[in-house]
Amino acid sequence: MTTPLLELRNVETYYGPIMAIRGVSLRVDEGEIVAVLGANGAGKTTLLKTATGALDCRKGRVLFEGREIQCRDPDWVARLGIAHVPEGREVFPFLTVSENLAMGAYNRHDREGVAVDLETVYGYFPALCGLQDKMAGYLSGGQQQMLAIGRGFMARPKLLMLDEPSLGLSPVLVAEIFDIITRLNREQGLTILLVEQNANVALNVSMRGYVMEVGGMVMDGTSEWLEQSEDIKEFYLGKKDEGVRGRRRWKKRKTWR
Amino acid sequence: MSGNAIIVDGCDTLPKLFLKKSAERGDRIAMREKDFGIWQSYSWNDYRARAFDIAYGLLSYGLQRGDVVSIQSEDCREWLWTDVGAMLAGGVVNGIYPTYQPRQVEHALADSNCRFLFVEDEEQLDKYLEIERELPKIERVYVFDWRGLRGFEHAKVAPIEDLYALGQAYGREHEGLIDEIVAQGCGDDLAILIYTSGTTGMPKGAMLSQRYIIFQLQAAPDYIRQTETDEILTYLPLCHLAERAFSGWLPIGTGATINFAESPETIARDLQELSPTYIFGVPRVWEKFYSRITTAMSEATWIGRKAYSVALAVGMRRAEKLIAGEAVSLFDRFAYGIADRVVFRNIKKVLGIDRAHSAASGAAPISPSLLKWFLAIGLAIDELWGQTEIGIVTICRKGVFRFGTVGPAIPGTEVRIDDNGEIVARSVGQFDGYLNLPDKTAETIVNGWVRTGDVGHLDEEGNLSITDRLKDIIITAGGKNITPSVMENELKFSPFISDAVVIGDKRKFLTCLIMIDQENVEHYAQTHSIPFTDYRSLCARPEIIELIGSEVGRVNADFSNAEQVKQFRLIDVLLTAEDEELTPTMKLKRSFVTLKYSDLIDSMYAG
Repeated sequence: MTTPLLELRNVETYYGPIMAIRGVSLRVDEGEIVAVLGANGAGKTTLLKTATGALDCRKGRVLFEGREIQCRDPDWVARLGIAHVPEGREVFPFLTVSENLAMGAYNRHDREGVAVDLETVYGYFPALCGLQDKMAGYLSGGQQQMLAIGRGFMARPKLLMLDEPSLGLSPVLVAEIFDIITRLNREQGLTILLVEQNANVALNVSMRGYVMEVGGMVMDGTSEWLEQSEDIKEFYLGKKDEGVRGRRRWKKRKTWR
Repeated sequence: MSGNAIIVDGCDTLPKLFLKKSAERGDRIAMREKDFGIWQSYSWNDYRARAFDIAYGLLSYGLQRGDVVSIQSEDCREWLWTDVGAMLAGGVVNGIYPTYQPRQVEHALADSNCRFLFVEDEEQLDKYLEIERELPKIERVYVFDWRGLRGFEHAKVAPIEDLYALGQAYGREHEGLIDEIVAQGCGDDLAILIYTSGTTGMPKGAMLSQRYIIFQLQAAPDYIRQTETDEILTYLPLCHLAERAFSGWLPIGTGATINFAESPETIARDLQELSPTYIFGVPRVWEKFYSRITTAMSEATWIGRKAYSVALAVGMRRAEKLIAGEAVSLFDRFAYGIADRVVFRNIKKVLGIDRAHSAASGAAPISPSLLKWFLAIGLAIDELWGQTEIGIVTICRKGVFRFGTVGPAIPGTEVRIDDNGEIVARSVGQFDGYLNLPDKTAETIVNGWVRTGDVGHLDEEGNLSITDRLKDIIITAGGKNITPSVMENELKFSPFISDAVVIGDKRKFLTCLIMIDQENVEHYAQTHSIPFTDYRSLCARPEIIELIGSEVGRVNADFSNAEQVKQFRLIDVLLTAEDEELTPTMKLKRSFVTLKYSDLIDSMYAG
């Protein structure tokens, strides 16, 4: 087995006395899109924050290209080649679009490379063209999401981590953004770790997936296999058998198999 | 058989006893159940009033003596109200496991000719609706919990509240009718049906009479010392004989207070909160207690671990004296007192067994090492042995410790070993046969003796030891007879093993399928940095296989070469009570498992 790009081994992270993720393991190989599914509060965001060093874990290890990176400063981790596109976009509202993108390339010193990548970003996100000098706070939600992904790409990371890119977007925009995510992966060879509640789109674009519940992993497998699982269908894809009465309020017990 | 009237407090049927006792107890608390997380109490008057409502309600629909009423629900107060109510009206009660799939429900309802069905909630109701067309004989269906059904209309289905109202109205018009019906009842009346989990074919409906119930009550008091000050926790399915006897019948006789566990998942918390004074547990529960403490101890501080091991040594010394029947010396008593105060009392508090003056284990064999551990920490568990077909057969006597045996027969019950080694027993309280199955009945009741299907032997004191199920005995290709349950029980004693099935009939050597204890193995993986994602990947980790291997090796050391397990595999699917691999009491079904995992088994014999 080759060394995975990112590997989490038995990671435990606490918020004060509360264990937010309890012994989570996960791996992302180079060139993959890996999805992490789960409901609110399952620990998906905590997982990403632990991987980037924004949160320190109490137990377990985070390995990037085989090197331990847990409990380090986020900027140090970012310099290794991990870009984090946070939940809720978090663009710099008082900076312009081009300044926001430049922030993404903060650690880079190859001017020509940055210029080329800037063009690439505008190529992928034509919606951002012509808005270069506009303040990011004035952009629409979809534009802000594109900007956030573009900013992540400007760091030229080995691994791009996306936290709920579909949050608060219309279905058309979701489709558009996920299309671009797929293209970034195919055309630029970018490895992507994707955290999503929208299981349908996430399983469509990803190759493998993990399912989290109350801080732990309950299932993992290829995306096609997960899509076929009865539990995923009922609890994440909303394809529910209506039962004999045509409406059913009770839920089946989850078995995760 | 009506000549040998069996009587408790002057009553020969449970309804008579209920009428008498509930009137005496009045406003005393009969049962507690949580509602939105808060314990609510129900007095004997409430119990009686609801049972009357249900009885009158059923009578208003023309229930005749001997008509079958089925209850398909998790344990709850309405379960017992309906149970008693139906019996007061002269009905026969058939409990159906809520974990049954519609197909199994259909069999239990059709085979018993059920007229009235009580279901817990929307989920259980849907099972009935799915098979409704197959069951034209069912006249009314009542739902305990109507949530989620608002606006639902069906000619036969109604909320239980409707039946209460109906019963109250009917009761006002026919005052005294129930007392009349109850007075006409006798010990020979059929009281309940219990469908025994058939490992092959469909479940068989065992017919238990009123005499059976009263016999259990009158045989028990010397050994099951339950009184009206006792608190008990109801958490095993009431459809199962053991919980029905302990939570349904016994409290009617003794007046103990029943507390319903919130759900099968919260038993540990409920126990801790309640600390019952009388505990009945299946081996799985006791095993779980033990493994919780061992796991906690492995994580404790150095001082904590040291204190535990010293205290346990003291406790074991005392336990050994008690087992040998020797007097415990003053010094040992003193040392134990300290060990109890410093260590054991805290352990018992954590588990919720600190107030227990009595405990019993039954429904499956338990490892003697486990019983010894409990005795060491100061809880004497009496093992008892019984079967649906005959009730409690044997029980260990208080203060006498013969671990490995299930004690002597209860008064009024005779036990003997048949020529083929099978244990046979008889009593005036035994069952009346299987419903609609005269052939099976004739196979089971031979010359008045009930064939138990277990093999075992009696020692000179009359203590019975169970070796195994007769049909489970393994004869290896080498011709050696092996009793798998001995090995299996020792394996289950390991905190990492939840259940095991030893295989080897007509094979060269013994092998084993193992179900791991999810909680403890996950914990182990976590503390030893063994990455895993889900249950399947956990079972596939070489470190975990090695861990279970070392546990198997440890157990193997106590067995001779031919009796040792040479290969094992883990069942990598997390099984739930709904799965057919498990019995409703969460034991692996040998025959089903060996069939379903035949590929896995063959892989152990390949090469």
